[in-house]
Amino acid sequence: MRFSLFLMAFGGSLAQSSVVPSWSIGGVMPDLPLIMTALVALRRGPETGCLVGFASGLFQDAASGSLLGVQALSRGLAGFAMGLLPGRLWVGHPLVQIPGLLLLTVAEGLLRFGLLQLFHYPARLSELFVHVILPQALYNGLVGAACVVVFETAQVLRRRHTWT
Amino acid sequence: MRFRKYALLLGVLLTSLVLLTVQARGGGPTRAGDLLALALNPVQSLLAKIHRGALGTWHTFTDWKAVRTENAALRADNERLRVQSLQVRETDQENRRLRRLLALRDRLPLTTLTGEIIGREGGGWARSLTVNRGRSDGIAQQMPAIVPEGLVGRVAQVRSGASVVQLLNDPTSTVGAVVQRTRTAGLVEGEPSGGLRFKFMARDGSGVTPGDLIVTSGVGTLFPKGIPVGRVTAIEDKGSALFHFALVAPAVDFARVEEVLLLTGQSTQDLAGLFIPGG
Repeated sequence: MRFSLFLMAFGGSLAQSSVVPSWSIGGVMPDLPLIMTALVALRRGPETGCLVGFASGLFQDAASGSLLGVQALSRGLAGFAMGLLPGRLWVGHPLVQIPGLLLLTVAEGLLRFGLLQLFHYPARLSELFVHVILPQALYNGLVGAACVVVFETAQVLRRRHTWT
Repeated sequence: MRFRKYALLLGVLLTSLVLLTVQARGGGPTRAGDLLALALNPVQSLLAKIHRGALGTWHTFTDWKAVRTENAALRADNERLRVQSLQVRETDQENRRLRRLLALRDRLPLTTLTGEIIGREGGGWARSLTVNRGRSDGIAQQMPAIVPEGLVGRVAQVRSGASVVQLLNDPTSTVGAVVQRTRTAGLVEGEPSGGLRFKFMARDGSGVTPGDLIVTSGVGTLFPKGIPVGRVTAIEDKGSALFHFALVAPAVDFARVEEVLLLTGQSTQDLAGLFIPGG
């Protein structure tokens, strides 16, 4: 179970640096590890969401050569927050999950920007928001929709397999 | 249970902050970075290797897809060009045929009309071609049809907008002809086998030999004089019979005729010199 979650975090990060760049539209790429963190958190709760987010963020920090801990922290927090929602909101429907993912991307982006400000990150928030955070949030929403369909189909197939 | 999740969150926060603080204090790649690198470098190295492998596989896959698409496009192009090439060759051949036909028409001292073959009847009972010229074009029965190689036949039926040309090798076809070299007169008849035979009086000195050219005689004014009909391939000597027969290879390959000249006028001139051997 934990190993499969580790693989998910690891595989998501790996795909982010190998396959996902070819999905780039006008330089904007979806954030696959964040999408996976959010979907896992919604299904498994805040602890798992937090761990998967932290692990995938750490992998990405390591792979990208940036400051270790920035994405680990922002993703960990994002996974935790997303995992808390199911008890408070009705998040089972894809029409809630996808806008939720969009908002989460924006929130995570703002949090990451805040953290990077501590290290005198030079870019301005307005530019970053218009050119990076918002387009990526929209793209994440689209890819998230596809992922939700895949998740739902996999679950249906698993249930059928269990009955037979 | 509730504390556990907050404890986990706190752990994640603290770990991240410690990592960041240690890096920030060092002002770049510091001891903490070194320590982390020590732990993470093997992972990162493995990650990079897997990344390169995955990237290579992905590139191979995308290249394969691109090659497959390109291959399909090239096949389609190839097919299109092959069809185009056939069309060009067909047009070229048609052009050559029409040029030869027009050259013959210009040489002939009588009026003619060009007709395109729109139908064929090739069974053993009757052999004919349908031409896209009919009553409205001034076509009448018995008009000769020719090509640059020689005589094709005569108009047997005239309809509105089309005519049926009876071929020389139709079993009911008969044409008055002479051997060009010896002037031996006779009749060229069609045979059920699709060939021609020349029926002539078996008189001494007729001297017909294989290879002799047979042309229309011009007797009866139906066909102008001198139109090539065919070449003698063999003589059937019937001994003391009144008639001898010569087997004749038609000057025209009827199966390949695509256009004909219909002779709408008359001429008493010998046309033999106007037909070039082989068209």
